[in-house]
Amino acid sequence: MTTASIPWMQSDVARRPLVERLHDWVTTVDHKRLGILYVVYALVLLVVAGIEAAIMRIQLMAPHNDFVSPQVFNRMFTMHGTTMIFFVAMPLVFGFANYLVPLMIGARDMAFPRLNAFSFWLTAFGGVLLHFSFLGGSGLYGAGTAPDVGWFAYAPLTAKTFSPGHSTDYWTLALLVSGFGSIGTAINILTTILCLRCPGMTLGRMPLFAWLSLTMAGLVILAVSPLSAAQMMLLVDRYLGGHFFDTQAGGSAVIWMHFFWVFGHPEVYVLVIPAFAVVSEIIPVFSRKPIFGYPVMVAATVCIGFISMSVWAHHMFTVGMSPAANGFFVLSTMAIAVPTGIKIFNWLATMWGGTIQFRTPMLFCTGFLFQFLIGGLTGVMLACAPFDWQLGGSYFLVAHFHYVIVGAILFALFGGFYYWFPKVSGRMCSETLGKLHFWLFLIGFHLTFDCMHVPGILGMPRRIYTYEPGRGWDAWNLWVTIGVVFQGLGTLVFVGNLVWSYFEGDRAGSDPWDAWTLEWSTESPPPVYNFAALPVVRSRRPLWDLKHPEDPDWKYEQ
Amino acid sequence: MPNTLEVPAPTAWPLVLAFGTTLLFAGLVTNESLSVLGALLMIAGAVGWFRDVLPQEAHDVVPVRPELPAAVTSRRNVARIELAGELPRAWLPLETYPVSAGIRGGLAGAVAMAVLAMLYGLLSQRSVWYPINLLAAGFFPAAVTASTEQLAAFHLNAFLVAVLIHLLTSLLVGVLYGAMLPMLPRRPILLGGFIAPLMWSGLLYSALGIINPVLNARINWLWFVLSQVGFGVVAGIVVSRHERVRTWQRLPFAVRAGLEAPGLMHEHPEDRGE
Ligand code: HEM
Ligand SMILES: [Cu+2]
Repeated sequence: MTTASIPWMQSDVARRPLVERLHDWVTTVDHKRLGILYVVYALVLLVVAGIEAAIMRIQLMAPHNDFVSPQVFNRMFTMHGTTMIFFVAMPLVFGFANYLVPLMIGARDMAFPRLNAFSFWLTAFGGVLLHFSFLGGSGLYGAGTAPDVGWFAYAPLTAKTFSPGHSTDYWTLALLVSGFGSIGTAINILTTILCLRCPGMTLGRMPLFAWLSLTMAGLVILAVSPLSAAQMMLLVDRYLGGHFFDTQAGGSAVIWMHFFWVFGHPEVYVLVIPAFAVVSEIIPVFSRKPIFGYPVMVAATVCIGFISMSVWAHHMFTVGMSPAANGFFVLSTMAIAVPTGIKIFNWLATMWGGTIQFRTPMLFCTGFLFQFLIGGLTGVMLACAPFDWQLGGSYFLVAHFHYVIVGAILFALFGGFYYWFPKVSGRMCSETLGKLHFWLFLIGFHLTFDCMHVPGILGMPRRIYTYEPGRGWDAWNLWVTIGVVFQGLGTLVFVGNLVWSYFEGDRAGSDPWDAWTLEWSTESPPPVYNFAALPVVRSRRPLWDLKHPEDPDWKYEQ
Repeated sequence: MPNTLEVPAPTAWPLVLAFGTTLLFAGLVTNESLSVLGALLMIAGAVGWFRDVLPQEAHDVVPVRPELPAAVTSRRNVARIELAGELPRAWLPLETYPVSAGIRGGLAGAVAMAVLAMLYGLLSQRSVWYPINLLAAGFFPAAVTASTEQLAAFHLNAFLVAVLIHLLTSLLVGVLYGAMLPMLPRRPILLGGFIAPLMWSGLLYSALGIINPVLNARINWLWFVLSQVGFGVVAGIVVSRHERVRTWQRLPFAVRAGLEAPGLMHEHPEDRGE
């Protein structure tokens, strides 16, 4: 569908027939095209999952509403969460890394081009399989046999007794398939960065984006494998009469939680580290200053990667672990705030004293900084076990993680879209529409998620499909839903901007932002082979060196 | 520059393999025949993929377009951070010793102090172990009732504990000394040799009864102050051998924070002594 409308290498004079061009897209092994496929796929599912969110919010807009049934509500929040994490956020992150990493490290392609295609198609088909569940059983409006066990699919809800039929199997199988794809991509990114850097591109000279992608890929391998293992165990439970998680037959529901969160917490860092990566490229360019404290940024990221592997049980404070275990996970969770804080200070220090230009990418990154700070702070609050006992099951928690996932990760990725769109398409995005998108989305985001904290504190639990009037939640819920309208409008403007700019935008040239990393040294869009001659690098800002031969960076480094 | 380059040839087999894998799983929620179809597609996909890469990787040859004109920038002038000029207030001192000098001094002083203390042991009890046992006595409750002979004999545990205490306190005092150096940067011997030992001895005089009653009962304050002064003089000498460094107060905060930016770094080779 949309893929066909993205022309490739516009300099090809004769336009070939649509079928042939489609064929080129489905058989491609070029990392840039696969990157675009990932991103387009993610955008389509962003709309799908966004509609699911809107359905939930319409239902909760007023007390005693009956827009959807309880059962459909359950399916909506399950499909929304699962889709957003696995088929929107992950593909976006992989798409960015796929497209940019080889260009940034001066390589001609990924290390395993065919594995790259295979991984993408696994992810894509996994998402199709998941949504196929809408067609079964009770029909589309009853949401078919879509899964209804939450994105974390806690046992024993997933046991045959409580989940007859196939809805839970759709969840398991779809994520298993796409999980294989994620692991494949992660191995590919890791190998590419370690083995395919151009001459002179030492690890210490890689753009932060590449460093952070490396960390992200490592985390994917370590985090997704346990999830796949647990999902296979769940399949054994459901199909072969095993009882790993069947509490009635001596299995353990808590083991599932451990498996899930050993994946789940690192996963949130799989998503946020690429957001850090985007921000770390954009802020320096639009502040006209090199990134502050490059080595510290690298060290803090790797540190975050490691610590994030040891905090999973902060999602389980309420299951009744021992005080020693609770204590450990409180402390390790708080510890992660330290390297994270270091990064925030370094971004601020990069902006400080710089000649800041608030173009659209920079606006989104500035939003990122503030919102990530607030989301991180509510995270620290929830990391205090007694606080979590009170609010962990409430809307406050929902507000926390949307603050980070939407307010930080999505904002950063939007910034990335505006920043690299000229490279990918050869055209500039419209600044006017970009700013309109930013403000609509910013207002919508804050209406929705700032307001969401309050009913949470007032005791509104998560995952309820309706509520009694007169508890002080009504007005807040209305505001939350109004915010969703703004966010939806913003997203429309965004998609409209991409389409309009693609056809009508100003020609970008190879380096529209006067930037410093290698991807800007080749044409926009880059040719299949990326670089006619492999670049040779002498500093962290190779393009600066080319543009300022009288005062190059390599004289100052080391 | 080459005229053509090889890139991996497009192929549909990875897609077929992925589709087969998905169907294999999808069969579990729909119909077994789908799984069978999936398995067949997987085999086809794998075989096709292998034939793409074995014995030789399939590739396309693409023509290389002429290279881009060299990168340019419209910003020929590097933007530099503006700093406040000379500050209106005096920031003193201009130079001081580095903190590490204090630590080195502390360690050297520790040796001098140990020698003096052991000398006192030899002269008063004919035993170098006497002061060592006294120092460690706070850790051994039995020492309260020990006789002088017992205190003059060698005890391994007491020896280890004493060495540890001595080293730790010397280092601590060394660090403190380093931190206080900016107060008297030009007279380290005065600070280390007299002022610091007096302060330290006074502090201990009031607290020793609680920390180490045995030592408090048997201490010879004259020798004690003497060995303190020994510590301080040696420490002061070691410190004064160090080169002084310029203090940072007068520098703008941007420079002290280590910002890397045009206008703050040494920009020309000659500034960096090249
Ligand atoms: C890096 C970006 C972050 C993302 C994407 C994120 C995402 C999430 C998500 C999705 C949940 C809810 C899980 C569920 O469905 O139950 C959650 C819960 C939680 N988050 Fe975060 N988070 C982030 C940062 C942080 C930070 C920095 C902290 C603390 C330092 C933190 C502490 C917590 C805690 C303690 C919970 C568990 C609350 C509970 O389950 O009762 N998070 N987060
Ligand atoms: Cu977590």
